[in-house]
Amino acid sequence: MKILVIEDNQDLLENILTYLKREGYRCETAPNYEIAFNKIMSFTYDIALIDLMIPGGSGLQVLRELKSVRPQTGTIIISAKNSLDDKITGLELGADDYLTKPFQLAELHARIKAVYRRNNLNGNDIIQVNEIAIHTKKMETKVNETVVDLTPKEFDLLLYFSSNKNHVLSKQTIAEHLWGDYVGHLDNLDFVYQHIKNLRKKLIQAGANDYIESIYSIGYKFNVNRSSA
Amino acid sequence: MKLFTKFLLIYLAVNVVVLGIGGIISYHIIKDEIDRELKFEFLDRIDRVTYLLEKGKTFTNFRELDQDENLIIVPLDAFKENDTQVSDTLIWDDRFEREEKNVKVSAYRNISDTTYFISTYGNMIESNDVREAVISILLWILGLQILGAVGIGFVVSGPLFKPFRNTLKRIQNFQINEKEYLKAEPTNVKEFSDLNIFVEEMTKKAVSDFNNLKEFAENASHELQTPVAIAKGKLELLAETNLNEQQFNYVEKLETTLNKLSRLNDSLALLTKIENHEFFTNETVNISKIVKDEIVAFEEFINLNNLKLHTDISDSVMVKIHPSLAEIMWANLFRNAINHNIQNGEINIKLNTDYLEISNTGKELNTKPATLFERFKKGEQSSESIGLGLSIVKRIADQNELQISYTAEKNRHTIRLSLKSVKGV
Repeated sequence: MKILVIEDNQDLLENILTYLKREGYRCETAPNYEIAFNKIMSFTYDIALIDLMIPGGSGLQVLRELKSVRPQTGTIIISAKNSLDDKITGLELGADDYLTKPFQLAELHARIKAVYRRNNLNGNDIIQVNEIAIHTKKMETKVNETVVDLTPKEFDLLLYFSSNKNHVLSKQTIAEHLWGDYVGHLDNLDFVYQHIKNLRKKLIQAGANDYIESIYSIGYKFNVNRSSA
Repeated sequence: MKLFTKFLLIYLAVNVVVLGIGGIISYHIIKDEIDRELKFEFLDRIDRVTYLLEKGKTFTNFRELDQDENLIIVPLDAFKENDTQVSDTLIWDDRFEREEKNVKVSAYRNISDTTYFISTYGNMIESNDVREAVISILLWILGLQILGAVGIGFVVSGPLFKPFRNTLKRIQNFQINEKEYLKAEPTNVKEFSDLNIFVEEMTKKAVSDFNNLKEFAENASHELQTPVAIAKGKLELLAETNLNEQQFNYVEKLETTLNKLSRLNDSLALLTKIENHEFFTNETVNISKIVKDEIVAFEEFINLNNLKLHTDISDSVMVKIHPSLAEIMWANLFRNAINHNIQNGEINIKLNTDYLEISNTGKELNTKPATLFERFKKGEQSSESIGLGLSIVKRIADQNELQISYTAEKNRHTIRLSLKSVKGV
């Protein structure tokens, strides 16, 4: 997958690139409007991450131009502005998603995958993680042809894990992914543990390996190389 | 009090004083004039009597001439020099049954060796009549002046003050977040024109200050979020390296802290936005729907804390408020009720067209409930929350002119928000 990251902040860029390159994506960068414009006009990307505030122009302008020449490119806006107007304008211009700073890299990655699935595979994608098959459109999970009955939250959690295989995900990260803004004001994150416990139990019962690894009971890792045996 | 009313009152007060003094002066002038006329008349009468006496006319008794009762002619035994005296005298009036001030002219005349005492007195008009006439004239004048003043008032407060009223109306309708300064209608009255120029300048300044402030608040929020985003990303990358438990714990704590910082920043930015009236709307919002949706969204957290939820929610309660604000407000109230609850506690939600009330069980408060609406005030200082939730709620309530109250009785906390609901959907 080829990704263009339009972001002027070097540190943030480094974070994103480190995370995404580890996943095996080909990433190109554009630190300002001019370079961004040049690249979107010259090459095709699967996904473009667009920061709204870039030197030399506006991210919204880049988005507009990108949508007019290559509408099939998936676009995710990254903005520090949590302003409703920008969000609406961005989505109206055809952005596929909108992520507000500060975001989790794992979350960014999950969104990239979701946008890619939606745009390139009509969302009708089956994610195969060893013996676990996740039908994103049907929202169905199978382990070796056995259907696992997951709640929407558990399904979301599994999808998130599968998007960030072998990454360490903290409880905070998971909570924020599953509940978004709601979680912000909740002190107790025990509910994350509840969901993980249930998901784990259901997967094992369906005959899957126990991939969910607890890291010092603070974080979790979906370790696909792990076998319960 | 309207300017016109005030003007009329002052005008009337001045007039009453002026007319009062004028009345007294008029009364005296008229009275003096009448008395003088009367005096000449009486002197003339005495001359006529003298003339008649000289001609040899005899008066059988006094009071003969013109059947005038007030003429006294008395032949005297003793000799007296010719003399004329004019005086005021009080004479009993039968009709009014009181003493009236009369003009009296008395004279001694020597005619054919006899000294006659001739005296006549009377008053043409009683002083009462003069007073009444003066008062009635003054009242007429006053009445006409009031009419005139009201007439002028209408002209003044009508066409003359139109530019002023227009400017006033514009000021009243002025919305600082509309980014437009206030442009006044041109007028040829200097004072109004000065006022308009002043108002234009002032609103220009206010709008530009407002925009600067807004920009600053937004930029500050923006500038702060980026470093937080960087730090969070680095922590995620750090978590992927081989950390021992303690190190991983530190990373997790840092992440929690950064999240809190980012939330704090968001909340402060939101408060600034609310205070800058950036959420102006004419929309009406279905509060019932917002309340119900949020309950569904939080169901999990309610169950997790073993809370019992009782609801009494009327359908389609419509309130004029910005939808985002309504959601933020309710989410804050509801989250508070969950977060500050106790295990196996309760939450009661009541919504009708008059008010929205949420009460929950919780720890007893050490502080006055109302202080919790202040910024950074928390029931327990140690708690994880940032202490802005309720002040955001309060701000939103204030902005929309909704009454909000917080009462705490032992371990039951109740927040009631009065609603001004709009009829119909």
